[in-house]
Amino acid sequence: MRLFKGRRDKPAGKSRKTNSNRRDRRGKQISVLYLLPSVIGVLLFFVLPFFIVIYYSVIDDPINAEFVFFDNFVMVFHNAAFQQAAKNTMIFSAAAVPLAVVLSLLLAMMLESKIPFKSQFRTFFLSPMMVPIASVVLIWQVLFHYNGMMNEVLGWFGRDKVDWLNSAYAQVVIVVLFLWKNLGYNMILFMAALSSIPKDILEVAVLESATPVQIFWHIKLRYMSSTILFVTIMSLINSFKVFREIYLLKGDYPYDTMYMLQHFMNNTFGKLDYQKMSAAAIMMAVVMVVLIGILFLTENYFGKDVEG
Amino acid sequence: MKNDKNRRKTATAFIALFLAMIMLAGCGKGKDDKEEESSKKEFVYVPEYHQIDFGISSENMNISQTVASGDYMYMQVNAWNEESGSENGIFRYNMVEGTLDEIPLELGENDWPGQICVTPEGDVAVIISRTSYELDENGEPINYSSSLELRVISSKDGSVKNSQDITGIFGEEDPYIQYLSMDGKGNYYLYGGDQTIFVISQELQKIAEIKTGDWINGMVASKEGDIYVNIYGEKGPELRKVDLASKSIGESLEGLGGGYGNAEYYTGVSKSIMFSGEKVALYDIASKTQEDIFSWLDVDVNSNYIRGAGELSDGRIWAVYQDYETENSKPELLTVKKEKADNVTPKEEITYGTMALDWDVKRMIIDFNKSNEKYRIVVKEYGTEDYQTGRTQFNADLTTKNCPDLVELSALNYTQYASKGIFEDLYPYMDQSGLKKEDFLENVLKAYEVDGKLYAVVPGFYVTTTMAKQSMVGDITGWTLAEMLDFVEKNDPENIFDGGARESIFYYFIYNNIDEFIDWETGKCFFDGEDFIRTLEFAAKFPSYEEMNMDYSEREGIYSRLKANKILLMQSSISSVQQFQMMMGMFGEKVSFVGYPNNERKGNLIQSTGGCIGLSAKSKNKEGAWEFLSGLWSKEYQESKYSDWGFPVMKSALEKKFKEDMTPEYYEDENGEQIEQSKTSWGYDDFNMEIYAATQEEIDQVRALLESAEKISGNVDEQLTNIITEESAAFFKGQKSAADTANVIQNRIQIYVNENQ
Repeated sequence: MRLFKGRRDKPAGKSRKTNSNRRDRRGKQISVLYLLPSVIGVLLFFVLPFFIVIYYSVIDDPINAEFVFFDNFVMVFHNAAFQQAAKNTMIFSAAAVPLAVVLSLLLAMMLESKIPFKSQFRTFFLSPMMVPIASVVLIWQVLFHYNGMMNEVLGWFGRDKVDWLNSAYAQVVIVVLFLWKNLGYNMILFMAALSSIPKDILEVAVLESATPVQIFWHIKLRYMSSTILFVTIMSLINSFKVFREIYLLKGDYPYDTMYMLQHFMNNTFGKLDYQKMSAAAIMMAVVMVVLIGILFLTENYFGKDVEG
Repeated sequence: MKNDKNRRKTATAFIALFLAMIMLAGCGKGKDDKEEESSKKEFVYVPEYHQIDFGISSENMNISQTVASGDYMYMQVNAWNEESGSENGIFRYNMVEGTLDEIPLELGENDWPGQICVTPEGDVAVIISRTSYELDENGEPINYSSSLELRVISSKDGSVKNSQDITGIFGEEDPYIQYLSMDGKGNYYLYGGDQTIFVISQELQKIAEIKTGDWINGMVASKEGDIYVNIYGEKGPELRKVDLASKSIGESLEGLGGGYGNAEYYTGVSKSIMFSGEKVALYDIASKTQEDIFSWLDVDVNSNYIRGAGELSDGRIWAVYQDYETENSKPELLTVKKEKADNVTPKEEITYGTMALDWDVKRMIIDFNKSNEKYRIVVKEYGTEDYQTGRTQFNADLTTKNCPDLVELSALNYTQYASKGIFEDLYPYMDQSGLKKEDFLENVLKAYEVDGKLYAVVPGFYVTTTMAKQSMVGDITGWTLAEMLDFVEKNDPENIFDGGARESIFYYFIYNNIDEFIDWETGKCFFDGEDFIRTLEFAAKFPSYEEMNMDYSEREGIYSRLKANKILLMQSSISSVQQFQMMMGMFGEKVSFVGYPNNERKGNLIQSTGGCIGLSAKSKNKEGAWEFLSGLWSKEYQESKYSDWGFPVMKSALEKKFKEDMTPEYYEDENGEQIEQSKTSWGYDDFNMEIYAATQEEIDQVRALLESAEKISGNVDEQLTNIITEESAAFFKGQKSAADTANVIQNRIQIYVNENQ
């Protein structure tokens, strides 16, 4: 009986294991099937073009396709327009990204506190997201045109007209436009992060007589570090995409302070200079990777003691 | 586990590689793909050309109208020769059997046959216009009157079956019938050119008058027996039904047509209507569907020459065409048969990419395709639908495997594309085929060189220049911008040249010599310099387009104003010796061809005619492509072309042309003496002039002018002109100072220049 039982037990145990393995394998197969469209999409539209860009960056032109190693990179690096674009993009990102993060965090904090008309304020700050960019640009053109509203206002105070879009002020206009467009979205992200901070910890801190600054600095900021990182990365990426607004405002060749890296790439693409464009794109990608890497390290450092 | 991981990684890598291969393969369709595609075609359309012997000795013969009924084609033919004068006849041609009959038509001395149509019984209805007059005491005709007769004759023996004077139905003194058609019930539809259709019954009685509301370009009966008018609408030619019951014109037929350009409609056999434009298509009215069959170029026929077309009962398409550009050409019949592709020997295809096919190049391609047994040129027109989209596609194709073998560069930025290595240097090809550089005008070849390489074949050219009276500017061949401004300011004319709005003046000063403000070697711009600011301020003195009085009825002619020095300069192209003679006559004194201002004082610009064609570096049929290109530089082509527009680039052909221009024409007077007569007459605005044989001095001047041009016209990047136009607008409106405007332009263009360093 025991022998029989044992004989029965053994195959039964094996079968359970086999079934479980089969289920696992089947589950994996199904998940692969579900993943496949996305994987194919990513490969086709991101990975492969990236390799093609690398290929273009090391050949002399698409017709001869002669390997020239880093010549294109050297040429682009020494190009005055590229240098100007890189400088402008860097200045713009350095100014706009911290402002976008800090101001949206402040707005989120403000809306978290007990102030009247909270939902109206939230709607107000989110409204730029709903306006199509072409109309935004149109409004901006009216505001900052030489005969626009801003100069009209300056006129009331007896000041001379400023050619906002064709002067050193141009980048200020773009920073304001960028903030106006992006603050709402960042603010919502921060509000979500603030609401997910465990209430018991905040209560304990209050009971322990921690000041609001201490609570903010040592608890809230720590818990929001991953959101701050995300918002920073998103803002950084968006700052590189501000080309769209500038292009709609001033076309392919704006005033030099508004000329961004994407102008350089867009224009070189238009002129069939694929090798120049590719080299610039790779340099920009490298800088982005380094910046995002630094941000990850920073987040890792500040947020390491905070649970998921 | 580790093995599993490795396997997964390898599988992923393979998938990526596989997708990469697909992606790269999809980067462009190569020749192989095209071959594969063409080999997949089950059917092809094979043309057959037939001579029609009209039995008319005249060399000047012309088919004025064709009408088809079944497999018969009815033609109205005019012929002219010196002995018998003008002859008219109506012919019936059996297109299946190839037999031709002349239908006798009795005409009085002052009778002229007009439009024809064919009745369902096979009789021919013809409009005959009749002129009558009286003679005065000197025998000169007076008191003209005209009448119209609608006559129906048997197509077998020409006997009159019915006839009616229809003059009265039009209610005007001198009626004229432009189009005649017949519906399925036997009613005649006559259109006289005053936006009215008159409908006459089979018994030749007027039954209706229908207003078309627009000018029409033709009338056609559908297979179903309804009449449609061809009206040029917003989206090109369209057909609208003539509704006899409501006496109105209906909505346009949906889905019919082939874009802008020529469009003719014929009664269908297999479907309602046959469309003939650049392509041939059959349209079914009930289902509102169009079936494109082939393009006329596919069967080596120039669509510009087609006089009539239709379907035969055996499914073939026919067309009658006549090359009216060639002297003494005769009408020919073409039939196109649908054949299984396997039965036809394929030729190697050479693609010819262009935004719009040039008239002369089209002729050349047809000749090449007809005569060449190995290669066939297939035209890819990018600009037929939406120009901008087409241009973007053209640009994209140039750097992929889709790049046409031959590329028409007139509409593109020649220098930009030439410097990208997209095209072959043609000098080695010239050497190989024995074409010598020195046989062509060096300055023209040099103008199209980029870094010492020639990237296009330019068969002909003309020169754009600026002319001024030598008595005012001196015997000079060019000037700087400052010199020109000094001259104009000193003379203070009413305007610099005709129609000189500030925008056009500014355009004139800047765009044709923009390189004067950019040093491409050092990458420096000088738009904030004195010259540019002065030009801005100078142009601002003149009224804008909006402010200018464009009332031409009150405007004084150019000739009068030139004479009175109210305008100082004349911008024009010189495209023939005769045009040069006319300009000389207009100025009435010695002229300096000063051109556009530039620092080198060489401002006459070259403009290509008859194409500017590059050979793709990626072409797999370079030999065939060059065979076509070299044909454009053959002695035969160069000498046969450019009779009245443009100059050939081959020196010997140019000299031959000069010789023709110097050869006088004579007539014999009543005493038998040879008197020189004018070759032709030319006119420009308020000036007209008879042109006689050119003198040696005039020819020398033209030669010097042609040889003085060293730059290509209009080779400025649109981006630059856009920046300048955009920024200068604020200055012209008085919103900014010239210096501020110049600074902004300098700033923006500097980026452009830096980018292109």
